[in-house]
Amino acid sequence: MVIKVQNLVKRYGDLLALDHFGLEIKEGEVFGLLGPNGSGKTTAINCMLSLLKYDKGTIEIFGKPMTPDAYDTKRNIGVVMQNVAVFNELTVFENIHYFCSLYISDKEKCNKYVDEAIEFVGLQDYRKFKPKKLSGGLLRRLNIACGIAHKPKLIFLDEPTVAVDPQSRNNILEGILRLNREGATIVYTSHYMEEVERICSRIAIIDKGRTLAIGTKEELKKMIKTGETLTIEMYKLSDDDLESIKSLPHITDAAYSDNRLIVHCSGGKHNLIRVLDTLKVRDLSFGRVYSELPTLNDVFLEITGKELRD
Amino acid sequence: MFFFLFSSRVKTLLRDKDSVFWTLLFPILLATFFYIAFSSVMNKSEEFSPIPTAVVNNDSYKSNTYFSEFLKSVSSGDNPRLKLSVLDEKEADEKLENGQVSGVIIVSDTISLKVKKSGLNQSILKTLLDQYLQTEKTVQAVIESNPNAIGEGLLDALSDQNIYTKEITFSGAKPDTMLNYFYALIAMSCLYGSFWGMRNTTEIQADLSALGARRSIAPTHKLKAVSSDILAALVIHFSEILITVGYIAFVLGVDFGERWGYVVLTCLVGCFTGVSFGTFIGSAFRKSENFKTSILLGFSMTMSFLSGLMFGNMKIIIDQNVPILNMVNPAALITDAFYSLYIYEPLTRYFINIGLLCVISILFTIGSYLFLRRERYASI
Repeated sequence: MVIKVQNLVKRYGDLLALDHFGLEIKEGEVFGLLGPNGSGKTTAINCMLSLLKYDKGTIEIFGKPMTPDAYDTKRNIGVVMQNVAVFNELTVFENIHYFCSLYISDKEKCNKYVDEAIEFVGLQDYRKFKPKKLSGGLLRRLNIACGIAHKPKLIFLDEPTVAVDPQSRNNILEGILRLNREGATIVYTSHYMEEVERICSRIAIIDKGRTLAIGTKEELKKMIKTGETLTIEMYKLSDDDLESIKSLPHITDAAYSDNRLIVHCSGGKHNLIRVLDTLKVRDLSFGRVYSELPTLNDVFLEITGKELRD
Repeated sequence: MFFFLFSSRVKTLLRDKDSVFWTLLFPILLATFFYIAFSSVMNKSEEFSPIPTAVVNNDSYKSNTYFSEFLKSVSSGDNPRLKLSVLDEKEADEKLENGQVSGVIIVSDTISLKVKKSGLNQSILKTLLDQYLQTEKTVQAVIESNPNAIGEGLLDALSDQNIYTKEITFSGAKPDTMLNYFYALIAMSCLYGSFWGMRNTTEIQADLSALGARRSIAPTHKLKAVSSDILAALVIHFSEILITVGYIAFVLGVDFGERWGYVVLTCLVGCFTGVSFGTFIGSAFRKSENFKTSILLGFSMTMSFLSGLMFGNMKIIIDQNVPILNMVNPAALITDAFYSLYIYEPLTRYFINIGLLCVISILFTIGSYLFLRRERYASI
């Protein structure tokens, strides 16, 4: 086990930020931490990194208790912060070199790693640029390079794609998967469900400081009531026909507009067949048919609720 | 690792153009401004110009031989105090009106002075006449009680203008109140080292910046990181102060005396005080960088003002009214260290100043250590 967190309790005054939070992350995983704002994701990461004091619980990383002076453990950890954390006075190369040197004492090896990190994030043309001259996307890439240049075995990425354009985001996600293929275990937090769904092998959904659900995306999708959504192109559909579809088992809702019948199903098998049979029986012709499985967004909203958060 | 941390920090801080401006260029510009503003005063010769004075040539004046002799004596010689014109009343009044004379002396039953305005010349004239009248009264009183006194050398004794106090300087240096402004300026520069100290703490504390968090996560011992940062700030600031002092001393020609070793020691201790002050403020408050910069600027300027940066006599006024303030104000201690080094031969007062500065710096350092030693934070 790379990370083992048990019964973690963290209070900010009266606010219970982590409520007996627990987590186990295996070697080689890309583990996603999902949760609404203020759910405790960053607090949990800061406790795991031994930056924050906590009231109760245990944290083990690489099988050893994590403490501020666990330097051997820290040497194998890389962190990409939510906020860009670089020196404005140093160039791209100097920034990456500085942070890499804190972990790697061999100068030759360090320089090699820095060059590789620059290439990894695609900043070869910006080596001598100072951070103020970089665009938001390039700055994020520099931030990532500073966190991963020393080739850590465990990498925490706390919302690394915030305010990044789609091209840069894609580049970053590809990079994370590459790091994982090269052997790093990744802990990833993000608000973007499609990112988590795309790269994470296992996901924990947390809210109010507690782990509400944990598993692969398929396992999570099975945990919720929401099932597939069917879209059927049709020229006409009477209210009577629509009511007959709504009355079918496992159909939670159905609506017809713009020549499209959209049917929401709960979990259950053969929903599509049943709907199509009904249409045939009623002698209704239809065109293309689509079936969409529930997304991680559906899972997230069903588990954490739909009310607005801060 | 320590050298790497130190050299990286030096490189980073030196490229911080804003801080370099405030800690190096601003004091140099201010010193140049002081020099231009004070140059007329500093280079002015202390030679006394005789005061143009008229005396009305009436019968009373002609008959008062003692007084006419007195006026003659103060208007002649190597260093005459008056440039005397003996005129009729109308002519004298015209010259007074035109500003050609500072005052008109009229002898009647009494001796009176007519002036058009008040000023230094008029005050000197009044003092001279008061002195004469005082002497005259004394002579009359002595003669009434002892008529033989004149024969016993009374007049010689009275005309002998002895000065019974003597201006002495221990180091042979000439007292100069203008120097205090430059010394206070260097004190202010030393305290500006607090900006470096504050920046250091912001970038090492995980609860103050993302950069601090990233550095805290690294496998570097906290004490090593903190001490290398402080040393880098100290080296940079000390170099800046030496450049500033060098400029003030060798380009502007401000006198620091002969004891350069102690001047450098004062700079070093002053820098340490400034950097440790900033480190303390930076680590003690979890406020924005702008808020802390305002605190540091406000404190530095107030302390410099109280040490005589804007008003030379301020330190003396505080010494007379709230002496304890001068003992806890680092700017006043640095200013006084420079001045006592310049003016006094014995080093007692100098070392008291340096000792107090060291105590203040150590207190700031201990306070900073208590905040900086935290490795885990209650909140980030």
